[in-house]
Amino acid sequence: MNKSDIVIRYIAFSFSLALYLTLLPIILSYSLGYHIDFHKFIIYKTGILSLRSTPSGASIYIDGKLIPDVTPARIEELRPGTYSVEVKKEGLFPWQKDLTVRSNMVTRAENILLFPILQMTEKVSDRETDDFFIPDDRSQIYYMTKTGLYKSNIDGANPRKLSSYSSWPSGILGKKLSPDGKKILYFNENGIWVIYLNDLRSIANGNAAEVEEVLKSSNIIKDVFWHSGSNHIVFVAGRDIDILEIGKGGGKNIVTLNKCSRQPKGLYYDVYNDSFYFNDSPSGKSILYRIDLREKLFEKFMERIKKEFDIIYDQK
Amino acid sequence: MTRSERLRRFFEIVPGFMTWSTILGLVAFSVFKPLWVAVFIICFDLYWVIRVGYFTTLLVFAYRRLNAEKKTDWIKKCKSLEGQGILSYDSVYHAVLFPSYKEGPEVLTASINALLDSNYDKNKMIVALTVEERAGDACWENAKGLQKKFSDKFFEFIITRHPDGLKGEAKTKGANATWGAAIIKEFIDSKKIDYEHVVMSCFDADTCAEKEYFACLTYHYITNPKRTRSSYQPIPVYNNNIWYARSIARVIELGSSFMQMIETMRLEKFVTFSSHSMSFKTLVDVGYWPVDMISDDSVIYWKCFLYFDGDYSVIPMYVTVSLDVATEKAIIPTIIKQYKQKRRWAWGVENFPYLMMGFVKNKNIPLLKKIRRGFHLFESHYTWAVWAIIVTFIAPLPLIFGGGIFRQTAMGYSLPSVAAALFRITTLTLFICMLMSIKLLPPRPKDVKRQKKLVMFTQWILAPLLAAFVGSTPAIDAQTRLMLGKYMHFQVTEKIRHGVTTN
Repeated sequence: MNKSDIVIRYIAFSFSLALYLTLLPIILSYSLGYHIDFHKFIIYKTGILSLRSTPSGASIYIDGKLIPDVTPARIEELRPGTYSVEVKKEGLFPWQKDLTVRSNMVTRAENILLFPILQMTEKVSDRETDDFFIPDDRSQIYYMTKTGLYKSNIDGANPRKLSSYSSWPSGILGKKLSPDGKKILYFNENGIWVIYLNDLRSIANGNAAEVEEVLKSSNIIKDVFWHSGSNHIVFVAGRDIDILEIGKGGGKNIVTLNKCSRQPKGLYYDVYNDSFYFNDSPSGKSILYRIDLREKLFEKFMERIKKEFDIIYDQK
Repeated sequence: MTRSERLRRFFEIVPGFMTWSTILGLVAFSVFKPLWVAVFIICFDLYWVIRVGYFTTLLVFAYRRLNAEKKTDWIKKCKSLEGQGILSYDSVYHAVLFPSYKEGPEVLTASINALLDSNYDKNKMIVALTVEERAGDACWENAKGLQKKFSDKFFEFIITRHPDGLKGEAKTKGANATWGAAIIKEFIDSKKIDYEHVVMSCFDADTCAEKEYFACLTYHYITNPKRTRSSYQPIPVYNNNIWYARSIARVIELGSSFMQMIETMRLEKFVTFSSHSMSFKTLVDVGYWPVDMISDDSVIYWKCFLYFDGDYSVIPMYVTVSLDVATEKAIIPTIIKQYKQKRRWAWGVENFPYLMMGFVKNKNIPLLKKIRRGFHLFESHYTWAVWAIIVTFIAPLPLIFGGGIFRQTAMGYSLPSVAAALFRITTLTLFICMLMSIKLLPPRPKDVKRQKKLVMFTQWILAPLLAAFVGSTPAIDAQTRLMLGKYMHFQVTEKIRHGVTTN
């Protein structure tokens, strides 16, 4: 190793050491949230403001002053205190909030959503529509019109008439697609209707669906649910929890599963487990109940009812 | 257990204990005091980035020096010294020892041919091939074949068979080399050659010395007034099979070459590594290599250092010796092979208890020198074992264990961005390594596609990933074994040359 190598090494080592000793306090104080004022030779505590907006690239105003940064931004070296923070972008509603910055801490506003001032409203269909139904899979739109039942793609394209039925009741409270996707029920306070969706390939245009009124109730219907098998409807009318068997033609079987002390509340149907949850207060205390309607249990339940009827018949 | 044995055991435990204490301590503090660990990580990251920058500077200068000295006509320089009252260059003999195990004739032939290609007088070269008896008769027959082929090309071509299971010996390369050196001594004695006029080069079987190696070595030897108090270290490059090796292996081995180049600029820490040379007189004086230690290449330096009361150094030579990249045909076996090789190198940590015990016994070495050299040795192994773990695995722990409260602090918020910004700077080093690796490449063989040169450049993308996973683990493995007293045995790295596999 010649002399020049030794000099190079000495310089490189000294420079590295000096660099380390210089940079370390600066980086550490910066990371810990301290600010060194080299003009006044003082160190003071600061906090950090982290702003993220959707869309990004919005201007930031702190206490009315525009800062030379856009979102997403990390605004450092803020003295502790409360700041009025405004995020603005052209064509979008501004966002404003008073944010408190604490020393050595980060104040985050990272879910700022800026909405457009001019909302894009577009027409899906020119058809005069009494009501409509969009299933959870958002694959179709069903139009309930004065000239019949139609369906189209979710964007309104490819419209098709399913049925000429047009006697839609007033005050529809809900619409639900059956688990097998072949029926739609809708109901109001006095009745339940089912639309049977037939196979479009085999049926001519305009007769692809049939609508049937499956129940007319004197009690006020509160809610209606599909059983997982898609052939039964569980509904609450007045104080009763009933189950209705549907099917084209013939009579309808209706069984009252439970008679509550008053109209049940907080209704929930677990279609995966065929369990019905409701609140009732038979002894004045409101308690959560569950009716298990899984198929085997259901069959057993029906058998038990049959037996009960047999006993009554025998007694008679 | 005697007091000396207990003390030795203590020094064996120290490196592993310190490494594990650091790792586990940092993990524990990440849970209870994440802020403290975050501060430590920033201090360490900055230290590491500046250290990388410092090393890169040294690497650039070492590379420049290597390039500059390539143009030197060392024989001419030696001749120009004639009549100046120093040792005459033509009175210097070179003894080249190849301790071998099961390396095939194609590996050894290439290494011996490299000696023949050197521009040094072959009549001044004694080549010795010492074969392990346990390698079997086929290896011995190969050695005989090589002797027949090359015996008239050198001053002497000796072959010898190292008996297995000699008393006090372990199955190490050092034991084989010691046996071979003793045989060379018999020959030198028979020729009545002064030991000081003989330079001993102990080469791995796959070592191909550069053309100028022996002339350069002779120059440094005759011009060094303390020639018997020095070892002579070339720069190892892994060029023999580099065009055929896996990218992973190439990046790791090139990293080793660069590290060795950097070490040539840090003389006070410089220790012999792999193939190197020294005075035969020194070797005889110190009683050859230890026969029961794996890291024979570095431990011989410490043996000399202790023997000469600290008055022993390593002279860097800016000439290269080319070795084989430890590779396999598939990726996973390559990683395993590299891991085992690096673990063997990391087993050099056995030098620490050896040196410490030597310091205890030796009262002539100044205390300051003992502290400095002991610390350098300890620090190099300690840093090797912890750096990648700290940078890769410990750094995110304060954020993971610190939870939401820590993430709400300025430090919790800044830590990832500060660490990332610091390490972005090291990409410059990566770029320099890319350029340098291309410059150090041997000519592309005809059967290798031209596009491979592009791979040689882009392969460096693997460097951060390899650093994270195989940067520290071999060293931790080696230190843990030493700490637990589960001593390693010498494992020969299998050589693969363009489809030819040999042990």
